[in-house]
Amino acid sequence: MASSSPRKNNNQSESAKTEQITTEFFSKSLHIILESRSPCVSSRNFSGEQTFSSPSSSSSSSSSVRPRDKWFNLALRECPAALENLDLWRQRNLEPMVVDVVLVKRPVDLDTVGYSPRRGAVENLALQERFPSSWNSRDEDFMMETKSEKIIERWIVQYETRNKSKEVKNVSKRGGSNTSHSLYRKSVILLRSLYLTVRILPAYKLYRDLNSSAQIHTFSLAHRVSSFVEPFTQREEADMHQFAFTPVETSCGRLCLTVLYRPTLSDVNLEPLTPISPRFIPDYVGSPTTHPLKRFPSLPRTGLESPSSGPFARRHSWSYDAFRNSPPLLSPSPSPAYSDSRAISSKLNSNQPQLLCSPHHPPENPYTRKSAGFDEYWPSPMLSPSPSPPMHSTDLSKALLRSGSAPVSIPTAKLGTNPASNLRTSHVPPLSPSPRQAKAKSASQTDNAKAPMKFGDNPAGITTKKISAFGKEECGNSTGTKLSSHISPRISSTRSLGRFSFQDDFDDPEFCPFAVDDIDTTDPCVRLDSFDGKGHSIEPLDPGGILQVRKSQDAAVGSLVRMLKTAQPLCQDFSNSKVLQVSKPQVLSKNIQEPAENVNSEAGIVQNPASSFGITSSGIVLVKTASEALQELQSYMDMKENLLKQGSEYQTLANVYHAADTVENSGI
Amino acid sequence: MNCEVCNLKELEVEHFEIREVLRCILHTIVFHRALGLVRPKDVDSELFEITYVQTGDAELEKKIEEKIDQFIGWVEKHPNKKSQICLSFYEVKNKQATWFSNKIERLYWEQWHVNLNVAQHPKTHSSKSHHSKVVVDPGENVFEDRSVRHAALETSLREVLFQIIKFVNEKKDHIPSIPNLEGVAFPYEITIPSSSDSSFGMDMFKRMLQTGHPSMLS
Repeated sequence: MASSSPRKNNNQSESAKTEQITTEFFSKSLHIILESRSPCVSSRNFSGEQTFSSPSSSSSSSSSVRPRDKWFNLALRECPAALENLDLWRQRNLEPMVVDVVLVKRPVDLDTVGYSPRRGAVENLALQERFPSSWNSRDEDFMMETKSEKIIERWIVQYETRNKSKEVKNVSKRGGSNTSHSLYRKSVILLRSLYLTVRILPAYKLYRDLNSSAQIHTFSLAHRVSSFVEPFTQREEADMHQFAFTPVETSCGRLCLTVLYRPTLSDVNLEPLTPISPRFIPDYVGSPTTHPLKRFPSLPRTGLESPSSGPFARRHSWSYDAFRNSPPLLSPSPSPAYSDSRAISSKLNSNQPQLLCSPHHPPENPYTRKSAGFDEYWPSPMLSPSPSPPMHSTDLSKALLRSGSAPVSIPTAKLGTNPASNLRTSHVPPLSPSPRQAKAKSASQTDNAKAPMKFGDNPAGITTKKISAFGKEECGNSTGTKLSSHISPRISSTRSLGRFSFQDDFDDPEFCPFAVDDIDTTDPCVRLDSFDGKGHSIEPLDPGGILQVRKSQDAAVGSLVRMLKTAQPLCQDFSNSKVLQVSKPQVLSKNIQEPAENVNSEAGIVQNPASSFGITSSGIVLVKTASEALQELQSYMDMKENLLKQGSEYQTLANVYHAADTVENSGI
Repeated sequence: MNCEVCNLKELEVEHFEIREVLRCILHTIVFHRALGLVRPKDVDSELFEITYVQTGDAELEKKIEEKIDQFIGWVEKHPNKKSQICLSFYEVKNKQATWFSNKIERLYWEQWHVNLNVAQHPKTHSSKSHHSKVVVDPGENVFEDRSVRHAALETSLREVLFQIIKFVNEKKDHIPSIPNLEGVAFPYEITIPSSSDSSFGMDMFKRMLQTGHPSMLS
């Protein structure tokens, strides 16, 4: 301590102060360095604790402040490693202090022996700390044999004494009495810089990884504190960068702080093993700007290829891509959105439709539609058309811009909000037999083919939307719930196609887009069972139905016919299936004994100029299909009549016989 | 008292990066000027692999956030402009109250100029800066560009932090003594560009003209 020779009295006290400051500076430096290099306690936790102790108060008298913290007005967390070294250091009388931060890579055999690597790391560290890695640790030598070590940082804290003459000059220049104050203040700043620098350097990431994550590490950080510099090899030195803090002048010398560090630790090959900090999240979730552009590349692939195209695979997976890839039977279940629509089918829940659609929002869909054409949808029987097109307005660019992060966020919301529906979905798959899918496929194709015709005068975007809406219908139908078909057009209207007046046509108070009818939604199975009864009550306003004969035996026959019909046209002629699919929902509510009438009414609707897009679109399909349906119905009616005829004949015969009997009896 | 001025290296940032960049820089500066007792609070940047240090002073943090908000608001109104935030430290001197002047005078002893070049439209920006690239797949290219640019910004931000550290250590003599600090840090103020102009000097000049004009007329 008495390194400086006694001088005048005031100088003496001054130099004593200086010396004390210097000593404390060493301690603090070591503490700062080891605090963020020796993976014992996370400094984060520490800083968390601090928040309640009102760090803002400048008074150093707060009870929570340890004397050590007062030094340089910098409160640090406890760091056992530093403390041990400090105690040793104090006996060393301002010798230079060299702190080496060592990256220790544990050999593979360590792991194979049966230690979990992480545990091994902890033990090693514990060893290091227990027998302060400082100057002469034998343990360290032992460790060196089993591990590869690499010095990644070397901190050198040094007090350079100066000639007395210079020293006097300096003192006089600054006005003497202020020296220790000035020294202290500068030390405070230097230590703050050190505190920050320690965190900016690459080694801090390693430290953080070691501390914060529960991951397996094949490396650990150790430290050595010594009073001499163990020279680097030339190559090592070449790899190191140096940062020298501006020395702090004291009355009799100056405090120097230097760090040699490896600018990159990539050569250490830790990357795969080190946990990756969550830095990519922002991009992922979406600075909205990144997404639309990013999404572009995947667009062409949406049609036929696998959905897993880069970062957006996830979105696709839960939207329609999943369906595309999944085999027919599975198709209904994969996407939550989808299942929702199905589950809700009994009532037209505009909300769920919205939810359903929202995930599909991604702009790619419109784009896809335009560029890829309808071919894309074919491979995916049920869902491909349905995804999002309705959502997207005709303005493609707008859609692209808007879509930003929406696709990502919405799905989750939806999933969260409709857990019940999700549950329901699990029941759905079995309900959709393969023939239905065939139906759906055919239907979608039909839609594709027909929509353009119908909306020829409309912008392409509209057409696509319409199509998509139909696609949804198909999807809904495919699931086996018949009302769902009705839903889809509605959905589209509520979401983005409101202007197309879908809703106007279906102006049901019941169909308020924002009202969720979850209550009515029942398990698909249940729904199917109670279909007839519910169907009437649910959609009283439906214009009419083609096949409403359900309740009678005739209904069974009709459905049979329909199934047969629908099953056959896998590719070419979808009109039949279409008729059945589309018209059904609308027709359902009315129990109409005369199918022919229904057909006519449908046709009437179609022809009605006032009818809006929504209705017309469906109507168009109906028109086309109507003739065929009519034929079908006609045949059915013929059958029915035949049956009735036969029945009546039989009946008359029976009556005749009966009459004969009675006559005979009476005759008897 | 001489006023040291530090012009920090200009950073090219995108709009969404402004906040984090400013947080890093401003907190780092203030941390070095918070010479009262401080319990440093390590903060991992949300965007960058950078850990910066706050003083743990809630008031200070709040003020910085406010200023950043203001600045972002300004940037939104003035896209594609180079802009500067000025962080100044001053001493308060009590002055004899003269007629209309305030009793309190601020003696600025240090000014930090944070220079940002905000690219408002990352897409156009990237395409501008990479003319040579044939944009076959705009999405991926843009993404690559962005990530490259982001990494570059991170490096630059580190450099700025080092610049701060260097400056702070080189220039120490101008710092006033810290006898009775009321807060953790020296009194400071953060100024952002005014609503009308990006350059302070021009703005002041304009103001002078504007205020002078009516009197000249009358």
